[in-house]
Amino acid sequence: MVAAKDKLAIGNRQLAMNRGLNRFAILVACATFFLIIAGALVTSNDAGLATPDWPLSNGQVFPKMVGNLFWEHGHRMVATTVGMLTIVLMVYILLKEKRSWVRKLGVFALLAVIAQGLLGGLTVKLMLPLAVSSAHATLAQLFFCTTVSLAVFTSRSWIEATPLSEEKGSFPLRYLCAGALVTIFLQLILGATLRHSATWDRHLPTELILAHIGGAVAVTLMLGTASLTVLRRHPGERFLTRPAIIALTLLVIQLGLGIAAYMARLASPNDPQPLNPMISITVAHVACGALVFVTTIVLTLRTYKVLPGRTALSEVLQGVF
Amino acid sequence: MNKQTKVWLVLSIALSLLVLGSACGGGGGDTNKGNTNTTATNQEAPPSGPTGTITGVITYNGTPPAPKKIDTTADPVCGQKNPNLTTDDTIVKDGKLANTFIYIKDGTVEGGKKIGDYAWPVPPEPVKLDQNGCHYAPHVLGIQVNQKISITNSDATQHNIHPTPKLNTEWNQTQSNGAPPIEKTFGRAEVLIPVKCNQHPWMKAYIGVLKHPLYAVSAADGTYTIPKVPPGKYTVVAWREGQTPEEQTMEVTVTASAPGKADFAFPKAGAATSSTKPSLQMLPAIEFPMMGKH
Repeated sequence: MVAAKDKLAIGNRQLAMNRGLNRFAILVACATFFLIIAGALVTSNDAGLATPDWPLSNGQVFPKMVGNLFWEHGHRMVATTVGMLTIVLMVYILLKEKRSWVRKLGVFALLAVIAQGLLGGLTVKLMLPLAVSSAHATLAQLFFCTTVSLAVFTSRSWIEATPLSEEKGSFPLRYLCAGALVTIFLQLILGATLRHSATWDRHLPTELILAHIGGAVAVTLMLGTASLTVLRRHPGERFLTRPAIIALTLLVIQLGLGIAAYMARLASPNDPQPLNPMISITVAHVACGALVFVTTIVLTLRTYKVLPGRTALSEVLQGVF
Repeated sequence: MNKQTKVWLVLSIALSLLVLGSACGGGGGDTNKGNTNTTATNQEAPPSGPTGTITGVITYNGTPPAPKKIDTTADPVCGQKNPNLTTDDTIVKDGKLANTFIYIKDGTVEGGKKIGDYAWPVPPEPVKLDQNGCHYAPHVLGIQVNQKISITNSDATQHNIHPTPKLNTEWNQTQSNGAPPIEKTFGRAEVLIPVKCNQHPWMKAYIGVLKHPLYAVSAADGTYTIPKVPPGKYTVVAWREGQTPEEQTMEVTVTASAPGKADFAFPKAGAATSSTKPSLQMLPAIEFPMMGKH
């Protein structure tokens, strides 16, 4: 274990943190978050088919952005900007980054944003089939996860982090966090499917609402357990406790937003058009969900970074039972 | 990049190109799936003898919900042309309900032949649907299978017309101000096809597509007349829009000398109206397989 710790520390010393690259990665991550909000606004305003063509809008690069075309074309403009930023980020990484796996992740980010753009086009061309729209919303979260991960991997705190010598507890934290992460991702898929299964003027399907509520319970249990375990086992490690506290706070906000979104969507079929507060609450629910997801990613990555690993699952289970 | 990374890169690019190809290749066109040609020669022409009518009045039970004001700030052209734009799903005057679609669903013509077994000629003149003041006029209309619908835009802004049928082909087309009329047909009978404008989400219309011309839409005073009905016994349906569209049926006998009479009242006593507060009971809106539209 000590050998591994020394090896990591030596490796870290050899890495020079590139502040410019890290700042640019943070910029791309923030732009991606803004893109998720822009996409959520398209869905909440029922603007996905405001123009039947793609990649142009009504045959134009810059159409008159009135009515719902403002949301749909605005989303496309933000997406184009994020795509370009991702190209620059990949080139920046390939030029400055020494770690091959980070370079690969940079290439993956570009492929993900291209695939995401194509999925967006497909949703328009096929007139919003549920599977494609949900896949588009889900891939958005995965792309956000990728850009946030790149920001984490290029950060000073990541490069200079020193591993902890022991895991204080029988069940490895990294598995707890990874479990929470997988649960949140499944919940995001459910949420995306639920959201795209009915427009504002129709009631959401009961089965999916119940599944999403069940998912919220599972996420609360998993993320709550993981975060509280971090706080209990490693109270002095800000590297771990900070994302845990943020994740817990966001989880509480997200649960409140979920209830508010449900109530707002329950009433929206009686409205003459998509209106606030339904629009703002549902968009906030999507945005906060994305933040819960990426905060948990940061927490999970950090547990993998500093806590000892390579514990076989059989050993873990023996420890538990 | 090592060899493995290159392989993944090539695979990803190939997949992306494939998806792009699918995205650019699909959509478009105005053909209908399973075109049902009602003028097929193996079907008999409708009876040419004396005909009657079906008339009636549609009344509204209870206090109708007040029209809701529409916020047009997203497109100022709409507000300038139609400053008092409100919802038009429940138009009631003196207790009489407009925009109800009434049609013969089934029945037997004197002589024993089913109404649907005749080959009704398709009228050559198109049915008109206009977008005026960011509002569809008419709000509810009927059309025969394969009859042309001519859609015009009288607004100084652009709209997109997006019917969302279950049996016919879905399409979505933008129409700017001054653009020529969009002409389409529907190849299958379907009651009723919702139409919406995705640029102005409050704009809604409903199109009833039938194999025969035996339909009507109730006027502002709630009255309607279905003309040129061959004598016989029919099932008449009155359809009214709503979160869950409501249908009522009535058996009507028509003779050449005496018109059939079918009055309807909406909503049925005890039925919830679309203006009521939402309940916890929700209707499934999802259809599997997952490729269904939303």
